[in-house]
Amino acid sequence: MSNSHETAKSGDKHRPRWGMVIDLDKCIGCHTCEITCKEQNDVPLGIWRSWVKEIEKGRYPNVVRSFRPTLCNHCEDPVCVKVCPVHASFQREDGIVMVDPHLCVGCRYCMSACPYEVRYLHPQKGILDKCDFCHFRVDEGLKPACVEACPTSARIFGDLHDADSEVAQLVARKPVQTLKPEMGTEPRVYYIGLDQATMEIKREVELVWDK
Amino acid sequence: MGQIVYDVHYQTSLGFLISYYFYLTGLSAGSFMISTLSYGFGMEKYKPASKMGVVTAVLLLMLAPQFLLMQVAWPVKSLWHNFVYLNPLSAISYGAFLLVLYPLNSIIYGIFMFKDNKKWTKFFGLLGIPLALAVHGYTGWILALGIARDYWNTALMPIVFLFSAMVSGISMMILMIMIRDRFFTKEKKINREIIDGLAKILGWLLVVDLFLVFCDYSILLYSGQEGQEVAHFMLFGKMAFGFVVMENLIGKIIPLIIVMVPKLRNSYFLLVLAAVMNMIGILAMRIVTVYGGQALPLM
Repeated sequence: MSNSHETAKSGDKHRPRWGMVIDLDKCIGCHTCEITCKEQNDVPLGIWRSWVKEIEKGRYPNVVRSFRPTLCNHCEDPVCVKVCPVHASFQREDGIVMVDPHLCVGCRYCMSACPYEVRYLHPQKGILDKCDFCHFRVDEGLKPACVEACPTSARIFGDLHDADSEVAQLVARKPVQTLKPEMGTEPRVYYIGLDQATMEIKREVELVWDK
Repeated sequence: MGQIVYDVHYQTSLGFLISYYFYLTGLSAGSFMISTLSYGFGMEKYKPASKMGVVTAVLLLMLAPQFLLMQVAWPVKSLWHNFVYLNPLSAISYGAFLLVLYPLNSIIYGIFMFKDNKKWTKFFGLLGIPLALAVHGYTGWILALGIARDYWNTALMPIVFLFSAMVSGISMMILMIMIRDRFFTKEKKINREIIDGLAKILGWLLVVDLFLVFCDYSILLYSGQEGQEVAHFMLFGKMAFGFVVMENLIGKIIPLIIVMVPKLRNSYFLLVLAAVMNMIGILAMRIVTVYGGQALPLM
């Protein structure tokens, strides 16, 4: 993995396609990925690039908690890239969906078009920002910060094009699912043991005039 | 059964400024349509409304993009990035061109109209109709291509936007013609014929508009989970006052009754009331559609 980016650049046959598998059987809901991401990427207060949604099901004493670590799905067919009027949202050769801070004008169209609500307007920079799989770490042959920090190794990162990589093996052998497959975006973040309720139970609607 | 233990805060992407922008472009497109009735289509009866229509269309279309620029975080950058780094797949890209071409065309059309050059006025008037349709229709596309929201992602959205634009534009023209005739002419007498004609057009456009809303909602109520959720949110939930009362009852049904019943239509007071209510209702429609359409959480 260490020099896969260079080989991709030099026109080698193997081109990586980064993806992630989140094994929810291992996730303990400690929010370490969330904190590490904020630290690594200097994410301002009130904004998250990656977070863990936590729900509680059932009635006391029979309750159970489910977690859903959420991040950009780095879709194969990203809506945000299609709708961006100035080509600021783009997809790299290796599948990472990123925002070019020099091109972005902050119109927020991609934010309203993303079915996963993973984009935010950076309050200081005035541009759209989102998870980019810590591209600078990946380019150096490292794993994204959240993957590195996960104490139970619930997040697994790797090259989906490499059949021997752990992610490719998991996607091939385990029953995996993606978020909102009906949107046709083909997410490349896979979940093992995803609880449907983490998507169905939603936060309260809060309108401007409610406050 | 269950509750959220932890979730993060989300930002609202398209705010009220976008609603106002859509409202103003709608008014502009509507008044442009009225101005072309006489010069473009030869309906001589509407000639007194033409000059007013084109001036209003240009002024509103100069005002409208200001709201757009206020919404954009980098307004100056957006002025040229939209043209230089154009993405042909994005609806906003086309908007950038339309927002330049349509006012330009309207200005040329207006100049020929004020110079009384019938031939060129007709040419630029007819040329302006597809532009006016596009400049407002594309705003419907912007929302419809935001596939994440079930409320927006419908093929009806551009058509709904066009009809709401025309009704609000006609209401505004009715009001403006009445004010001008009553206070700014020598005779101080309102041109009954033109007001009556516009009110009738308004009535039929309102019928189509209500029919489109009915189509939209009847299908939304039968669609997937999120579609049903948003329909319930609009009809019975927190947005019910905005959608049912403001947009449809005050904005469309009451004005429809006033303009369709000849006895009521004859009263200037009721007609002014209908036009004002309709304009308020369409503003509510913009807010309900833009802000309400994305109020429900997605994940």
